[in-house]
Amino acid sequence: MFGRMKDAMADAAETLRQAFAGLKVVQVEAEPFALGLQAAPLLLAEPRAGLQVPEAPLRILQLLREAAQGRNMESFQAKVEGEAGWANWGAEAEVVRMEPLESGRATRMAVPPLPRKVQALGRHEPLAPPATRRAAESLARPALRRADPTLPAGLALAGLDTMLSLAVPIQAENTQHLPKGMWMRYSLQLVRGTGENVRNLEVLGLFRIPRKGVADLRHDPKQGRILVRLEAAALKAPRAPFILARRKDDGGLVSCFVEDP
Amino acid sequence: MAESIKLAYFMAVKEGASYLGGLLVTDTSGIPLDFRYTEPITPTRLQSILYGKSLEPHLKEEVIQKTLLKELKTPPDLFILSATELAGGWSGDAKYPVLAVQKSQESPLGRVGEVFRAGPREVLIQLADGAAPLRAIFAASVDPAAQEQAVVKLVEAGYHMDLTEPLERVTAALQSLVVKEA
Repeated sequence: MFGRMKDAMADAAETLRQAFAGLKVVQVEAEPFALGLQAAPLLLAEPRAGLQVPEAPLRILQLLREAAQGRNMESFQAKVEGEAGWANWGAEAEVVRMEPLESGRATRMAVPPLPRKVQALGRHEPLAPPATRRAAESLARPALRRADPTLPAGLALAGLDTMLSLAVPIQAENTQHLPKGMWMRYSLQLVRGTGENVRNLEVLGLFRIPRKGVADLRHDPKQGRILVRLEAAALKAPRAPFILARRKDDGGLVSCFVEDP
Repeated sequence: MAESIKLAYFMAVKEGASYLGGLLVTDTSGIPLDFRYTEPITPTRLQSILYGKSLEPHLKEEVIQKTLLKELKTPPDLFILSATELAGGWSGDAKYPVLAVQKSQESPLGRVGEVFRAGPREVLIQLADGAAPLRAIFAASVDPAAQEQAVVKLVEAGYHMDLTEPLERVTAALQSLVVKEA
């Protein structure tokens, strides 16, 4: 606190010293104001040639007449004026007299405290958040449509006729597994049915086929089976053992149904 | 005894962008008892996109197969399809043992009727003397007991017929139907 006061006093003293350094103080006595004498020019009569209309004398006479009647006359008021500035005119500077500093006459001055925080100028202001604005028009609600992904079940159709047009392979039964007596019975029926000598016949197989409705029959020797083409009547016809044989002499095929015992 | 066994053969084919399926029911001689087929089903482009890879299995199992089975008057004893269809994750139906049959390249097992279990769902069945055994692959829904019962029926039917051949007939019939409609 005292340090600041001391510095302030020192600054004031230095300021005063620099302000009055080099100035020359001159005291000038004021001179009496003297009015200068001026001579008025003499009136002269200017001779003019010829006869002229006496305009000016008439106007002057008019004025004199009005003055004599007390009109258009201004009253004079005496007034003495002086200029005090003349006394200081020509001086180099105005005389300033400072009262000497005396102890005890100084008034206490409140020294404003220095700001504790300096305000920084020129800083970047933070960006203001953008104003939110609402879109003028809201989107129209779309129309809802349904696309059914369900797969159609399809219509089931009867196609047995189509299936019957295809040849049905029927495997030959293994005659080795048949009882010997049954096989002999079958052989006898084959001879009777075909009228062939049993020694002239080569049995190609024993098949179980429908007793009715067989439209076509072909032998597949490679796989030991027959291919039959059936008619609708074959579906409900009972299955019966059927022997297919080949004649050894001419290779012709013979066949007959045999009866189960 | 053998006459009472009914075998159902199912096959679904894709012709162009259309799917159709057929179901053939035969007796143990392979003689057809019934045959049903579906009209060709052509999925729309949207349906193809929405179903993605599940389109074909869904069509075959849920649409075509169930439609055909509804038309059957009597339930089959065995429901047979191709090994390719079964390998595609066929779920099967609890009412019918679902299985695939195919000819194998294995050595003969010995006597006719002998069965060799090659896996939990796969058996080899000797149906003819000296021939390669038949491979039967069951769907996951068929339990071992049902498999045993199905094997007995397969042995009985295999004595009279080629168990793999009817699938070829179904395929041929479907193709002929497609040609007719075209």
